[in-house]
Amino acid sequence: MFMRILVMIKQVCEPQSLFELADGRIVLSPATRFQLNTYDEYALEAALSLASGAQGEVTALTIGPANAQAVLTRAAGMGAKKCVHLLWEAEAPPSPIQVAALAADWIPGQEFELILTGVMSQDSMNGAVGPMLAALLDLPLATSVVELEAGPGAQGIRAVREMEGGHRQFIKLPTPCLLTIQSSVNQPRYPTLSNLLRAKANPPQVIEASSRNLPPSEVLHLGADFPESSRAGLVLPGSTEEKAAALLRFLQERAFL
Amino acid sequence: MADSVPQIPGRVVAVAEHREGVVSPVTWELVSCGRQLAQTQGLEFCLLVLEGQNQNLGLEAAQYCGERVIAVKVPGLETFHGEAQRLILGDVLATMGAMAVIGAHTTSGMEWAPGLAVSLSAVFIAGVEACESAEGQVTLVRACHHGKLWEKLRPIAERLVLSVQPGAFEAAVPAKDSTPVLEVIEKEYPTCRTEVEPPFTMVKHDAALGRAQVIVAAGRGVGGPANIALLRELAALFANSALAGSRPVCDYGWLGFQKQVGLTGATVSPRLYIACGISGAPQHIIGMRGADVIVSINSDPEAPIHKISDVAVIEDLTTFIKAFMKLTVE
Repeated sequence: MFMRILVMIKQVCEPQSLFELADGRIVLSPATRFQLNTYDEYALEAALSLASGAQGEVTALTIGPANAQAVLTRAAGMGAKKCVHLLWEAEAPPSPIQVAALAADWIPGQEFELILTGVMSQDSMNGAVGPMLAALLDLPLATSVVELEAGPGAQGIRAVREMEGGHRQFIKLPTPCLLTIQSSVNQPRYPTLSNLLRAKANPPQVIEASSRNLPPSEVLHLGADFPESSRAGLVLPGSTEEKAAALLRFLQERAFL
Repeated sequence: MADSVPQIPGRVVAVAEHREGVVSPVTWELVSCGRQLAQTQGLEFCLLVLEGQNQNLGLEAAQYCGERVIAVKVPGLETFHGEAQRLILGDVLATMGAMAVIGAHTTSGMEWAPGLAVSLSAVFIAGVEACESAEGQVTLVRACHHGKLWEKLRPIAERLVLSVQPGAFEAAVPAKDSTPVLEVIEKEYPTCRTEVEPPFTMVKHDAALGRAQVIVAAGRGVGGPANIALLRELAALFANSALAGSRPVCDYGWLGFQKQVGLTGATVSPRLYIACGISGAPQHIIGMRGADVIVSINSDPEAPIHKISDVAVIEDLTTFIKAFMKLTVE
């Protein structure tokens, strides 16, 4: 029983980041802090627990700029044995099909039995890279996985997919296959010092994305905007106490209190 | 019944969702989006319903919305199977001249739509909230960064696959006097590598959420289980109230999953919804946008929840609620 698992991970800006717009382009303040995409953390944890039962090995792959290497350090700290950085230096971030294509270009020959991604990234919120990569590599797919285990005799994967409105679905997949992992599947572990020290001695393999085959994005970004208010959106002014009094009046006028 | 696919160049095709023998309401939103896209592009629109041999969902859909409906009958496909659906759609649509394919941005839609785009060599755009058109060019609007920003995209490929955010488009109204057109084609169940079972109900929503006139909802911003007790006290101030939570709050175990409001939880429409420490990601908004009055309390002035609320309080949650409770006691 030996399971080779690849986890695709992404660096995203913290959810509480503040954004500015310049000519419709999103500008991050220099103080912006970055983190590992939360859903990818769940995917890493799922991979590490499956691999430890099967004496397997987890590889983490990220596609992003030079500073995105921080998420590989975190993955290594959590227990990923091998880290690969497809270095993306163009100013515009890669589109989902470009990320999937770059991964699909690198993966053949690596003999992964299982590929995991987060169900989506917190920044671009597409949820498309996993399913597209599965299609490019012609792998069986399950999205929004909330439970998974190796099948009997380590044959394939048994998983539970989450559906809308509290429904779920059992799915069995032969390996190799690709799963996208939803939150709540597990409790992601913290990086350990010993793993981090080991990672320092084994830096990630860096591959220039520009050296690989890349499809065009086929999407023009026309610009971004803050969403418009769909309701009154009355922002209460004043001190905490004044706001509390104003809210109380508002609710009393409408007979809620 | 014909086995050949009707040939019409340049169609916009929406793909219906259904569960337990009932067409899902999101389907009528896909119809709206499809009609809009077809009109602006001068294309024909039709709704595709993949169903089991003995189901009549295609006919029901045609009678309901008065659109041209193509029912693809597949023995054994009574319940959703992502791999089968993707293979059948790939087969049917490649020969049908579909310029744009519209699915729902749901866990079902996301199981087939991005992969279908790959097999049709189409561009894929996820989570579409609006569709604009000028001079024959289509612009699609979608949320990113937890809904804090909306981005506008223009596809520059011949074919397009979209997943449409549930709740973003008005549902198409039932047709009054149009003549529904139903075409039926039959397909074999494709050879699949995955095996699925019919969906089951994992979490029964707390019935109190449906009945409550006032819902106090906790988000990640409440910070921890200790503050849940504070929100419980706040809820107790109102008659006929209930406590609910966003997905992260239920993931962390601060509240049970039966209390979850949003795409993967319950959909509620109380008279008053007080969102506490909720950022307002599209997946949550879908579940509560129908409330009569929305109050948002969040220290982040950019939190998108403030954009859909009637009253926005930009304050530290604990400090504010304590101050508010103090006033009500006085």
